[in-house]
Amino acid sequence: MEKLLEMAGRAADQAEVFSTEQSSISVSFHDAKLYDIKTNFLSGVSLRIIKDGKLGFAYTRNLKNRQGLLENALDSLRGRVEANYDLPDTRVGQSLATYDPAASKLSSADLLDESQRICEILKAKAAGEIMAGAYVSVDSMRILNSRGADLSQRNSLAGSYSSIIFPGSGSGMSREVRSRAMVKMPDNLISEMADLFKQGQKTVQPKGGRMKVLFMPESMITLLWRIVSGLSGRSVYEKISPNAARLGQRIFSPKLTIYDDPLNDAYPGARAWDDEGVPCKKLPLIEQGVLKGFFYDLKYAEKMGAASTGHGYRGDIWSGDPVTVKPGPFLGHLFMEPGTASLARLISQIDRGIIIEGVMGAHSGNIPNGDYSIGIGPGLYVENGRIVGRVKDAMAAGNIYQTLSNVVEVGETLYPSFEGARVPPLLCEGVSVTTKS
Amino acid sequence: MFEKLEKILAGAKADYIDIRYEEVKETAIGFSGKELTTLSANASDGFVVRVLDQGGMASVTFTRPDEAEAAVRAAEENASLFSRNTAKPVRMAKAEAVRDTFAPKLGEDPRHIPMEEKLELVRKYNNIPLAWPKVVNTSIAYSEVCRKKYYLNSEGSRIQEDLLTTSVRGLITAREGGLTQNIRVGIGGSDGFGAIRGQERHFEEKTKLVLDLLAAEPVKSGSYSCILNPSLAGVFAHEAFGHFSEADIVETLPAMRKRMTLGAKLGNGILNIIDDATQPGQLGFYQYDDEGVEVRPVQLIKNGVLSGRLHSRRTAAEFGEPLSGHCVAEDYRYAPIVRMGTIFIQPGDKSFGELLQSLWDGLYLLDAKGGQTSGENFTFGANYGYEVRQGKIGRMVRDINISGNLYQTLMDISSVGSDLRLSQIGGCGKGQSNIRSCNGGPHIIIDNLIVGGI
Repeated sequence: MEKLLEMAGRAADQAEVFSTEQSSISVSFHDAKLYDIKTNFLSGVSLRIIKDGKLGFAYTRNLKNRQGLLENALDSLRGRVEANYDLPDTRVGQSLATYDPAASKLSSADLLDESQRICEILKAKAAGEIMAGAYVSVDSMRILNSRGADLSQRNSLAGSYSSIIFPGSGSGMSREVRSRAMVKMPDNLISEMADLFKQGQKTVQPKGGRMKVLFMPESMITLLWRIVSGLSGRSVYEKISPNAARLGQRIFSPKLTIYDDPLNDAYPGARAWDDEGVPCKKLPLIEQGVLKGFFYDLKYAEKMGAASTGHGYRGDIWSGDPVTVKPGPFLGHLFMEPGTASLARLISQIDRGIIIEGVMGAHSGNIPNGDYSIGIGPGLYVENGRIVGRVKDAMAAGNIYQTLSNVVEVGETLYPSFEGARVPPLLCEGVSVTTKS
Repeated sequence: MFEKLEKILAGAKADYIDIRYEEVKETAIGFSGKELTTLSANASDGFVVRVLDQGGMASVTFTRPDEAEAAVRAAEENASLFSRNTAKPVRMAKAEAVRDTFAPKLGEDPRHIPMEEKLELVRKYNNIPLAWPKVVNTSIAYSEVCRKKYYLNSEGSRIQEDLLTTSVRGLITAREGGLTQNIRVGIGGSDGFGAIRGQERHFEEKTKLVLDLLAAEPVKSGSYSCILNPSLAGVFAHEAFGHFSEADIVETLPAMRKRMTLGAKLGNGILNIIDDATQPGQLGFYQYDDEGVEVRPVQLIKNGVLSGRLHSRRTAAEFGEPLSGHCVAEDYRYAPIVRMGTIFIQPGDKSFGELLQSLWDGLYLLDAKGGQTSGENFTFGANYGYEVRQGKIGRMVRDINISGNLYQTLMDISSVGSDLRLSQIGGCGKGQSNIRSCNGGPHIIIDNLIVGGI
């Protein structure tokens, strides 16, 4: 690494070497039976150089030929991709708890046991088709740059997930837990899933119209994807975010406070610096509905005359391969402040509406603009605070800037959701729902 | 290379073992608006090992050759763990040992075209929408992915196959007042650089459409009978039905598996769907899948009746059905899973004019913009559409997402046109992505689709 950096530093004005080594194991159960055991070892080296304000980029899995990799990066300078920023001279990052040695000791057999345990509990509770699995991944990463940064971090992530599928439908209730080393999926989470499943046995076809919608962790992806897109410095620069001129204005309900906190190491995935080596910090995004800020990587910060907020990550929603993807602005530690309502209380406030447990088509539509139009699957129809049954063939549609202005109440429990986010269930009103009736 | 791979497997004791080594060369050029954001050409490589031993199956992927021994050991240990913890041993359907080398015929080999020429072509396409003041952004990218695959298994197969995929794709965004609209663009294929030359008209037409969308009305949500154009009909075939013809999906969903028994009447009698990745020149074309099985056409629905399924060796044994050669991986980072190749609704005999007459009132929906399946339910977006009144195409509508139930919708396909078209770009995400996922169909009529609007 050092030698590559030295060579690259001589050939260009600035250089950065990013390297990663990852190993992971995953075990999956389908229909409550063992289906697959997978192991992955993935490593690689990625080189960024800046010369005369232009960017060069190259990567490899095996650093056999330093000169070859450097030549690839020099070759890509010919495209004249602009890079009018300086790499950071970050020296020491904050010390965070990102790795638990217990994760390295987790074996396939441990993961198999936890998956099997979840299946057994669910089998006893509900007559559905049960999917479950557990995984562990340990990685180390290092960033070296020609301005003297030499940062390294070791991370571990272990988790388990399960779903109970409504037989014949292929869709079901799902929950997940993530931590730095294996924790058992809590009984109350398993029970919550099984209870909701039981209440969705009967299918119903309610009339459509505007109604309350309770977004659960699996369906929050619809809202979060659009929030993240609308707050990205890149979307603002590209003039596709509607928020460019709304800083300091109320864009959501006063009940919503949203921030990004990579330093919070109570959860796995904490970061002291981003994939460009810029120190991370807690970033307020929405305070009581008021827009407080956008997030930037080095490139888009420079374009917008701002400073990087430490959000340059190698990977986005579609590609998580840190070696082959150049850094770009990404928000991976989003927190939505929880409220005080239990799930039961949230449901009791629905005169007529749907609990959305899963969605289809969250990736479709004009995302930066906040528009969504999703198939609901599964969703539970509620009348007068009671779950009536599972809704058949329904869609919910709207724009998040409207939907999130109409928040009735925020749930008390944080769940893992979209790309490392931690969010509570969210009850909104006046959402347009279309059904066949 | 094969000697190297043989050496890696030399110490393995399992009943069955296979290994795939791939070199992947990727060229990427990307524009965001007028600005070039990406230009790179890189190579990477890695290995995938799969083991089947005493009814236990496991896979391992690795990228460093010095990890080979540990990787093979991990796969064997996991297969043994699997074997001890399963009541039902995994079996693989018998396949012929194949020794072959295959490279597709290319119209023009992109590897021999200078980067500057590629850059200028992409810049030219990108400049077409940017000439219009209302176009506020473009995101247009060239991608060239060349996979050189070496596959070897303990039954004697040795296959080397090249897969080359090129595309120019992205999004054009236009704005007027507070309204932004976007439209997808995409050209490409698996038969060389020729597929992306001379495509100015595609970008001109899409630009006009996105500008027209600024003056279109949002569609009123409700239930409509709709004509789907070939692009949307293809996405329908892929999303609504296709995923349930992938045996590994229905394998462990007992209720659905029962419903998807071969011979079950699933659709209207006029409906025929096939997966045929054996057609050279089409995006989905390949010779052997990633477990060394030659791909073959599979008639999935014949006259409305379920008549075939897509398989891996594992699922073919489980179902007792013929091998189909559909076990495919994204690249060396993944073990293969069952994937569609080129799925399409086979053409009928109706002209577009006849379809309009038979629809009379409803919507004409065009061009896919993302779809998803969750069990029997599916949702996908249309880039744009038109109202149809009394058999005539009327005003344009926007913000269209449709949703439906697989079984009901297959029955509700009431008319099939004669004008088959297959997609030039793909991108199916089923845990791993498949950029060669190809789909298509003719114009079709589906009765009573739910349209969500926004």
